[in-house]
Amino acid sequence: MNETELKELIDVDLISLDEPPAEKEAVIEHLLDLAVEAGRVSDHEQALADLLAREEESTTGVGMGIGIPHAKTAGVAEPTLAFTRSSEGVDFGAMDDEPATLFFMILVPEASSDDHLQILSSLSRSLVHEETREKLHTAETAERVQEIIIEEVA
Amino acid sequence: MPERVVEVVPEEGLHARPASLFVETANEYDAEVSVGPEGAADDDLVSASSMLAVTGLGVAGGEKLRIVAEGADAVAALDALEELLSTPEDEL
Repeated sequence: MNETELKELIDVDLISLDEPPAEKEAVIEHLLDLAVEAGRVSDHEQALADLLAREEESTTGVGMGIGIPHAKTAGVAEPTLAFTRSSEGVDFGAMDDEPATLFFMILVPEASSDDHLQILSSLSRSLVHEETREKLHTAETAERVQEIIIEEVA
Repeated sequence: MPERVVEVVPEEGLHARPASLFVETANEYDAEVSVGPEGAADDDLVSASSMLAVTGLGVAGGEKLRIVAEGADAVAALDALEELLSTPEDEL
């Protein structure tokens, strides 16, 4: 993805720095609401069902405080990434038992190849570094978060 | 150090359930297991006990992985991981 595509993927409207709900499923709904409000979701129910079906298979709480709910879904027409963060931490069912504090939701259209997996692996590679996680925690504006994500995923 | 190269049989690759079973299995043994694409240098291998690190590899079905293990149960860990990766997803 080039920079313009990445900016489109993670528009500032898709980034919330307010404390999200304290429970896993509510956080996923909260992320999806950001995408709905940004006008990115054509079928809310379908997108939610696909996200929850993926969690059913295995948790997207991948440890080190990261949750990355994701799905390929007919509920969106364009690849969409939403972000929020928590200072309290949310139990995402991760194997390392660490509460999740950084959340990324990835939705890609049904017709796309495996774009979501590529976004997922680039994000994961950068989030392994404590420095990246720290930057996302301390960023003061949605614009700054957008910049960091674009730098890290590009 | 015991190591081997194993093809990833589950069609979707090392994601979702196969990935979490892989990490769980790596954590079950008294061994430090690291993993990367076939041909990866030692420095480019990541910890097989971290779901985030394994997700970051972005391994597709049909690709080959280099797995290295160190510790008392190194060979047993490699055996279990090889068996897991050789099993189609619907049989896991």
